[in-house]
Amino acid sequence: MATLPQLIEEDVQRLEEILRELLAQTDGTTALIIDKGGFLISNFGDSRQFDLTTIAALASGAYMANQTIANLVHETNFNSVYQQGEKHSMFVLSVDDYCMLVVIFRSQLSVGVIKYFSAPAAASIAEQLQVAQQRDPSGGLDLSVLNVADTADFFKRQRGD
Amino acid sequence: MAIINQATKELQVKIVYYGPAMGGKTTNLVQVHDHVQTAAGNKGKLVSLATSSDRTLFFDFLPIEAMSIKGFKTKFQLYTVPGQVIYNTTRQLVLRGVDGIVFVADSQYDKMTENVESFTNLEENLKTLKLNLQEIPYVLQYNKRDLPNVAPVEYMEFLLNNREVQVPSFTSSAHRCEGVFETLNMITRMLLHKFVSQGTPQYA
Repeated sequence: MATLPQLIEEDVQRLEEILRELLAQTDGTTALIIDKGGFLISNFGDSRQFDLTTIAALASGAYMANQTIANLVHETNFNSVYQQGEKHSMFVLSVDDYCMLVVIFRSQLSVGVIKYFSAPAAASIAEQLQVAQQRDPSGGLDLSVLNVADTADFFKRQRGD
Repeated sequence: MAIINQATKELQVKIVYYGPAMGGKTTNLVQVHDHVQTAAGNKGKLVSLATSSDRTLFFDFLPIEAMSIKGFKTKFQLYTVPGQVIYNTTRQLVLRGVDGIVFVADSQYDKMTENVESFTNLEENLKTLKLNLQEIPYVLQYNKRDLPNVAPVEYMEFLLNNREVQVPSFTSSAHRCEGVFETLNMITRMLLHKFVSQGTPQYA
């Protein structure tokens, strides 16, 4: 099962820096790093006009569906997906076994530019994740301090329903 | 696997509702979406990738931010899978990264075979992801208890919960929102308890 390494402040800052640079190079609108299970890990750019949590879940699903199609047509994988729209388009590129890079950009922009700059960005992200992977994992948070067994119900039904 | 982001102090957890077709998985999510008490902006949109006749085609997705625990924002992502047998590849995709499972069984007598088949299918699909049901928190929900032709709970327990370690089970009528929150709260508690007892969650 694919698992992500522990990311600390330094990793997150580096990932954001990579995304910032990518958007500056491409004039893209928003860039995201998402887990292949659908979680949003990091994002940069305009986050107000998009629901990034849902985009992460759906982009991951769409990408994974394409991976399955790749297998059906005897391809090892389709490592990228391009969705073309009238106002915005989206490019998804696999980073490693666990993550993907998603770039949302205005449709007037050339996808070639996005693809060209996304490849080294994905390599840098993979490199940083590798650094995180190799770091001593013992610095992790022990969730037992949360003592959640004592908490009340997490999800409450609205009164009067 | 759950993601804990120490930089942004977020805990993200994925719960998948699994079970036979037309068993009430989507209804569970709809009821949670319609009735959950959250602070403004903490409940995301319910996204359904469904056919024109409202059958789940890919998955339903509902993100909810629950109360924060010791400074960590807890974000729950609830998914359903399509129950129809032909969509097995899709079910495998949705199960990727799962932290907890709610198995929604249909209580009608004539659905028992489908319940058992779906449960077996769940175990098989987890194996393809190198996961084992014994290691993942899950709960059983016996839905549609308001219908006249339902099987006794004891019989459903015998069919679906007849294991060395029995898991919590709930009766429900999801369309009336009965048993929906009880089920969700139990899987949440089990998940967080699992993290506590393991002490080594996946980090991000």
